[in-house]
Amino acid sequence: MSLIKDLTKGIYRENPVFRLVLGMCPFLAVTTSVENALGMGAAATFVLICSNFLVSLFRNIIPSKVRIPCYIVIIATFVTLVDMVMNAYLPDLHRSLGIFIPLIVVNCIILGRAEGFANRNPVLNSIADAVGMGIGFTLAMVILASFRELLGNGTLLNINVLGSAYQNQPLLIAILAPGAFILLSFILGFFNILEKRKGGRQ
Amino acid sequence: MATRRFELAMSPHVGATQTTRKIMFDVVIALLPALAAATWFFGPRALLIVVLSAATAVVAEYLCLKFMKRPVSFALDGSAIVTGMLLAYNLPSGVPLWLPVIGTAFAIVVGKQAFGGIGHNIVNPALLGRAFLMASFPILMTAGWVAPDAWNSSEDIAWGTSGIVQEQLSTIPMADAISGATPLNVLKQTFDLDASAQNAHNEGNTAEALSLEERADGIRSALYSKSTYINLLIGRTGGCLGETSVILLLVGAIYLVMRGVLELRLPISYLGTVAVLAWVFGGSGWFNGDPLFHVLAGGVILGGIFMVSDMVTTPVTPKGRIIFGIGAGLLTMVIRRWGGYPEGCSYSILLMNLVTPLIDKLTLPRVFGEVKKNG
Repeated sequence: MSLIKDLTKGIYRENPVFRLVLGMCPFLAVTTSVENALGMGAAATFVLICSNFLVSLFRNIIPSKVRIPCYIVIIATFVTLVDMVMNAYLPDLHRSLGIFIPLIVVNCIILGRAEGFANRNPVLNSIADAVGMGIGFTLAMVILASFRELLGNGTLLNINVLGSAYQNQPLLIAILAPGAFILLSFILGFFNILEKRKGGRQ
Repeated sequence: MATRRFELAMSPHVGATQTTRKIMFDVVIALLPALAAATWFFGPRALLIVVLSAATAVVAEYLCLKFMKRPVSFALDGSAIVTGMLLAYNLPSGVPLWLPVIGTAFAIVVGKQAFGGIGHNIVNPALLGRAFLMASFPILMTAGWVAPDAWNSSEDIAWGTSGIVQEQLSTIPMADAISGATPLNVLKQTFDLDASAQNAHNEGNTAEALSLEERADGIRSALYSKSTYINLLIGRTGGCLGETSVILLLVGAIYLVMRGVLELRLPISYLGTVAVLAWVFGGSGWFNGDPLFHVLAGGVILGGIFMVSDMVTTPVTPKGRIIFGIGAGLLTMVIRRWGGYPEGCSYSILLMNLVTPLIDKLTLPRVFGEVKKNG
C-alpha cells in the first residue's frame, strides 16, 4: 500500500516541478522541444532510480557527516554512464542537451530524494519513490515543452502541427528563455487554482 | 439596479480633484495630436491599428477582471486605453493587424493584470508588450517601416532589411532614404560603414577606407541638416506610428503640464541626459555628436513624455525621478551608440522600471525629527 503511495505521490501530489518547484535549471533550459524534454527526463529518471537504490542500500553504512559527498559520488557515477551512452548512441540528442547532462550531478531533485527519502527508507520504497519522481519530472517537462515547441515552432515532436503559414511567423518568444518563465508561471498558476478549487492544502 | 461604487482615493482624503479616470483621459487627449499626425503621414491604417489596439486593451482588461472576480468597471478607467494606444504608437504602420491585438493582449494580461491590475504592475505594460513583440516577431517589427505619404501613392515603399536600406542609400538622394527607413536606422548604418572603413584601413586598403569614411560622413551631414530637423519636427519621417511628430507630441505635453498631470522632472532629466550624451559620444569622435538630432529622432520624445512619466512604474520621490531620468537617458544612448538596436528608448525605460523600487527606497526623504541611524 505505502509502496503504491510512494510511487504515485511524485506524479501529482508532490510533483517535483509543479508542487515542490525543484530542478528549475534543466526544466527551463532544455524544454525547447518535446524530444529534448523526453531525453532529459529519461536520463534524469535513470540516474534517480539508480542513485536512490544505492543510497538506500548503503544508508546504514554511510557516515552522516560525509553523506553529501557520498551521494555526489554515487550520482556522478551514473551521470557519467548516461553521458557516455548518450554520446555513443544518441549523439544528436547529446549535443542538444549539452552541458545539462553533466549538470544532472547537482540536480536538486536527485540530491533531494537521496537526502530526503532514500536516506531513511527501505530499498523497495526508495525505488518506487524514484520512479514516481522521475515520471513526475518527465511529465512536467513534456507539458512545458509541448507548449513551447507548439507555440514557438508550430511543431510537436518535430511533426508540423500548425501548418507552414504559422511556421513563418511563430510566437518566437515561446522557445526563448523569457517564454519558458512566462509559460511556467501560467502552468504553476493553473495548478494553484486547481488546488484551491479542490479545497486542498496551499 | 444602479449601485454606486465608491472609489478609494489616495490619502490624504481631502476631496481630491484628480481621479485615475480624469488623469487617464487627460493622457488620452494628450495623445490625440500625435494620432492625427500618424494618420496624416501613414494613412488610415495607422488610425485602425491604434483603435484596434485600444479596443483590445479594454476587452482584455474586462475579461481578466471578470475571470479574477474583480469590479469590471476598472476596465473603463482609461488606463487600458492608454496602454493600448501607447503600444500602437510603438509599432511600425506596416505590421499585420493581428500583431497589435496579440501585443496588447499580452501587455494587459501578463504585464498588468497578472501583477494585480492598475497600480501594481512592475514595468510599463505598453513597453512590455513591445518587448514581447520584438522578441516574438523581430522581422515584422523591424521591416514594416512605411515611408510617410507613401500610403496613397501607387508604390508600396515598405523598407525591408538593412541590406535594402544600404542599397538604397548608395543609389538614391539622401532625403528619400531618410523618409523611408527610420533616421536612427540610417545613423546606425553610418556606424557600420565606419566599422568597415576601419577594417579596410587595417587591411591596408586605404583607398577603400577613405571612400567608406567619406560616404559615412556624407550621410551623417545629410542627417544633421536643417531639412532633416524640420522633417523630424513635423513628423515627415519613417518610424513608429506615434513617435514621429515631435511638435504634436509637445502639444500633448503642454496640455498635460497645464492639467497638472505631467511632472517635468522626469522628462527633462531624461531628455537632458540624452542630449548631453549625444553631444559627447554621438559622433564618430568625442564631443562632436549632434544632440538636436538624437533628441528629435526616434522615440525619446514619445518615451520622455508618456512613458518615463508613467505614475505607477517610476519613482515618486523628486530626487528619485531625476535619477530615473538620468539612468534611462544613459541606457538609451548606450544602446543607440553601441547596442544592436538602432533605438534604445523602450528597453532603457523597461530596465529602469525594474530598479524603481530601489531608487524610491534610497531616496526616501527623512521624516522630520527622525534621527539618522548610526549617524
